[in-house]
Amino acid sequence: MTSLKLFAWLTLLLPLAGCIAVALVGRRLPGRGAGYLATGALAGSFAAAIATLVTLTGREADEQQVVAVAWDYANTVGIDAQLSLLVDPLSVFMILVVSGVSTLIHLYSISYMASDQGYVRFFAYLNFFVFSMLLLVLAGNFLVLIIGWAFVGAASYLLISFWYRRTTATSAGIKAFVINVLGDVGLVLGTFFIFKHVGTLDFLQSFENARETFEPGDGDLTAGCILLLVGAFAKSAQVPLHTWLPDAMEGPTPVSSLIHAATMVTAGVYLIARMHPLFELAPTAADVGAIVGCLTLLIAATIAIAVTDLKRVIAYSTMSQIGYMVMAVSAGAYAAGLFHLMTHAFFKALLFMAAGSVIAAMAGQQNLDKMGGFRKAMPFTFGCMVIGGLALSGVPPFSGFFSKDEILLLIGDRGGWYWILYVAGYAGAFMTGIYTFRMIFRTFFGEPVPEARELEEGHLHHAEVHTNPATGEVEDTEVGFPGAEHHIAEREPTMKIAMGALALLAIVGGVLQIPKVVHVIDDFLDPTFAGSALYHRELGDGLIAFGLVLGAIVGVAGIAVAYLIWVKNPQIAVTVRERLAPLHTLFVNKWYFDELIDALVVRPVRWFGAWSHQTFERIFVNGLLVGGTSGVVRAGSSAVRAAQTGFLRYYALLIVVGIVALAFYFLMSA
Amino acid sequence: MTLHLSIMLWLPVAFAVLALVAPPRFAGRLALLGAALVLGYAVTYLVDFDSGSGVLQYVTDETWIAELGISYKLGLDGLNLLLVALTAILFFSCILWASLRQWDRPRLFYFHFLVAETAVLGALLAQDLALFVVFFDLMLVPFFFLTGMWGGARRVQATMKLVIYTLVGSLLMLTAAVATGVLAAAGPPELSFAFSDLAERPLAESSQNWIFLFFAAAFLVKMPAFPLHGWMPDGYRAMPLPVLAVFSGVLSKVAAYGFLRVCLPLFPDASDHFQTLLLLIAVASILYGSAMAFTTTEARLILGYSSVAQLGFITLGVFALNAQGAQGALLQSFNHGLVVAPALFIVALLAARASGSEDIRDMGGLGMRAPILATMFLIVAFATLALPGSANFAAEFYILLGVFTDHMVIAIVASTGVILAAIYALRLFITTMHNRTGARVESRELSLRDGLVLVPLVLAIIAIALYPQFALERSESTVAPPPTAAAELLPGGTPFAPLEETP
Repeated sequence: MTSLKLFAWLTLLLPLAGCIAVALVGRRLPGRGAGYLATGALAGSFAAAIATLVTLTGREADEQQVVAVAWDYANTVGIDAQLSLLVDPLSVFMILVVSGVSTLIHLYSISYMASDQGYVRFFAYLNFFVFSMLLLVLAGNFLVLIIGWAFVGAASYLLISFWYRRTTATSAGIKAFVINVLGDVGLVLGTFFIFKHVGTLDFLQSFENARETFEPGDGDLTAGCILLLVGAFAKSAQVPLHTWLPDAMEGPTPVSSLIHAATMVTAGVYLIARMHPLFELAPTAADVGAIVGCLTLLIAATIAIAVTDLKRVIAYSTMSQIGYMVMAVSAGAYAAGLFHLMTHAFFKALLFMAAGSVIAAMAGQQNLDKMGGFRKAMPFTFGCMVIGGLALSGVPPFSGFFSKDEILLLIGDRGGWYWILYVAGYAGAFMTGIYTFRMIFRTFFGEPVPEARELEEGHLHHAEVHTNPATGEVEDTEVGFPGAEHHIAEREPTMKIAMGALALLAIVGGVLQIPKVVHVIDDFLDPTFAGSALYHRELGDGLIAFGLVLGAIVGVAGIAVAYLIWVKNPQIAVTVRERLAPLHTLFVNKWYFDELIDALVVRPVRWFGAWSHQTFERIFVNGLLVGGTSGVVRAGSSAVRAAQTGFLRYYALLIVVGIVALAFYFLMSA
Repeated sequence: MTLHLSIMLWLPVAFAVLALVAPPRFAGRLALLGAALVLGYAVTYLVDFDSGSGVLQYVTDETWIAELGISYKLGLDGLNLLLVALTAILFFSCILWASLRQWDRPRLFYFHFLVAETAVLGALLAQDLALFVVFFDLMLVPFFFLTGMWGGARRVQATMKLVIYTLVGSLLMLTAAVATGVLAAAGPPELSFAFSDLAERPLAESSQNWIFLFFAAAFLVKMPAFPLHGWMPDGYRAMPLPVLAVFSGVLSKVAAYGFLRVCLPLFPDASDHFQTLLLLIAVASILYGSAMAFTTTEARLILGYSSVAQLGFITLGVFALNAQGAQGALLQSFNHGLVVAPALFIVALLAARASGSEDIRDMGGLGMRAPILATMFLIVAFATLALPGSANFAAEFYILLGVFTDHMVIAIVASTGVILAAIYALRLFITTMHNRTGARVESRELSLRDGLVLVPLVLAIIAIALYPQFALERSESTVAPPPTAAAELLPGGTPFAPLEETP
């Protein structure tokens, strides 16, 4: 085994080892031991990922795609399913982001979850989650990809339902899982369409065969790619398969951070980038991806302006930003989409951590209406939130500015109807500034709420009894729920380190790729996209200058509007809401997607179940079809009950007699 | 130790007789010893089996009734090897489970249990159609007694329903089997029921058709498939748990195996003719079983209806009529048995913690003080819903891919069954283990006694999930024999359509 393969396997397997170790011995470790053990495993994984990177960059460009096979998984009768990894620049890029950001999130969780009764369980799940995500991005063939894909879904179910006494949490968990299984099925069927023609599950081989087999625009390939997109949409929360993501906020905040920043939701972006040779042969499918991404970024941004739950604002913002990435990779701006994936991982993880700190100070309360004035009480959290917010809004020179604008530049460069996407992208960027700073202003500015006042005086009192803000139900703190002691960044060094590191990355992460100046990411990913026609494009200077200036103006303008509405003159907010009441209702009700899916899918399925149960089973199976038997049973059962075993003997005899009689009959006639 | 299939086949009956005459308190231990020896044999076969050879191995062939052309012929190949192993594993686990509990009339109980094991093994090992039919019918008789005498609610009604259904099926099958032998011998050759002889004498298509339907009816009742599952709810409710675990885990697979062993090779034209019908029955079973599984509240019946759906997948694989579908069907038969038995044990454990009720509305919050039990249940639930990464998924992947090749629409409709499975399996897990604690619920950890049965089964599920190749490579050469060997072996045509060449 070459050292490259060894490092890749180590990156993958260390979190799994961590999961098993935490599950087995976590309870015996003193204090926060389980958290440190899990974080250590992740740090080791990150170190191995760096070693993979170093080894890979040491190779020639044409030797940078390596397949590592462990064993034959299900390799018979023409289905070549092996347990294999593909180590190439794209997967190494992904494992670096995933393991790096996850390590910081683990570090944060050591303190954040400290008073939770389910501490050990939490870290076992968290390690398993990261293992699943690494398996997904390292997969070397379709089957392993599907396995990683499903494991991520299963792990997210476990983490969303982590506080499993909360009925809202368990129903959010099952919702996320079922929508993700829908995505898995899309992926499986998409694989079938492609396998039917290329005859192999291996990525590199199937891409090579596809170039020879398929004419551009082939019907089966387009169907296959659209089904792959169904998988991508379900995992990356793109409309209309996004409804699980806001509900997933039922999980502990580090989970939101892990799912919404570094892992899971980026899987769809990775998938499209990985499958780019197929999508380039099926331009219709790629266009579907770009359009859905664009719709998602707009719809999610409008909802983010209206919702009042702190974590849900960030969740919808994630949906919106993933919309940018999906649009980018579908439109051929691969490096830009992945670059945004990375910078977004930094600043979104940071925003969630800061939000978690606030929520801890609010004793689990997530409603923006009840927050305010935390600026003085939590200066560190405030600083982090502002850095994350500026990066998200795309204000130069923060990282989000460079990555988002590169996406829009490359889409604008494609011309034709892509101009619509280009304009929509800037409209989304404007709304991003508004909703991000609406959230920040409402949390940290204005009159300090009682919690903030207390914190300023150095102490924090919490109610003896917790209630679920969604249902008013009294929380069951016995099995895993924050205790009376709450953990905020200002008081916990590990939280501070994690947030500080991310804040730094959110500020400087953009320098990796600046149009015309630096193109580290472009160059690094080049071997993966070597065969792509869309990858190597030169942009005109005029377009770049115009785009960058416009991007900066739009971001700042959004923030200015938010300042005007929520700080300068709060009366405007009320007026706007009244003037645009129908729109506000639409946004607050999340464009009625939940209701739509309920009417189209959930209710018909329930009806079918109820019909089977009450009508069909009762009338057909127990009535008509078994009418005879039931009649016999009813008539004979009292008589037979006396001699039940006699009846059975009679039956046994009947079989024997029947055998003999029939045998004779046929022998005679033969 | 020489490997002789007859020893493995008759060992359980020998111990059954011993259990019958031994003092009652030793009956359980004797039965366990018998089942353990069979398990040892089965594992030896699993290891010793030559995966590369597509021919029948360890063959025993004696003339039994010369006048009727019936021979006592046994053999192992890729079709039955894993099912024999499954039978040995499940009978051992269930007898272990039973022997750790008290039973009325234990000697008779274990006698029936072990006779059932011999009958099942006989049906699987038989290489003669008449022998197969005899064992197939014999297999049911001990279950009638076990249900009728040791069963629970409304056991008499359940037993009678079972009897009537299977009686009809058995008689149809018997008629069909005799007709097959006689019609095949219409020409010069002598009467013979051996599969190898029958495969060389294909019947006229018209006779194939009605004979196929008779066999299909018998097998579909046994599975059970929609809409012939009328006996299932009562039967599941009434059977004592360890009996139900083998019944659900093993007997339904014998029916699926019957399609692969009898119908496809002996009636190739009819199989082709009725392919769409059987595929539609399979899809209906998947959708209907799943819909029932997520509306019913009795934990046992959730598993019962989920079995209807799972068997639907297996039927789907069989009637893909290609090597991939058959591979998937065989692997799924093994997996389903390995998963449904621990699932039923878990239901019993849950009921014991919920004041004896098996209704999931009476449960809730059971995972709280039982992390090990919850983990076991979670693994079993994920395997049941065929989470990718489980061997169940590998099998469904093969099945759906096999069907997809020629019947794309059916494959796509069937794949919605995967989503429905996620709903009913997680619903079962969440309503029992999560949420608020039910009123009469006491959460407690797995005891050593229960862990002894459950943990090895769960470890087996994990092992096969990591390496499904173990099962697949053992059946490959039977399901898709190398072209030259196939031509020699089966001049009447290969049992499975050869793989289409990929462009």
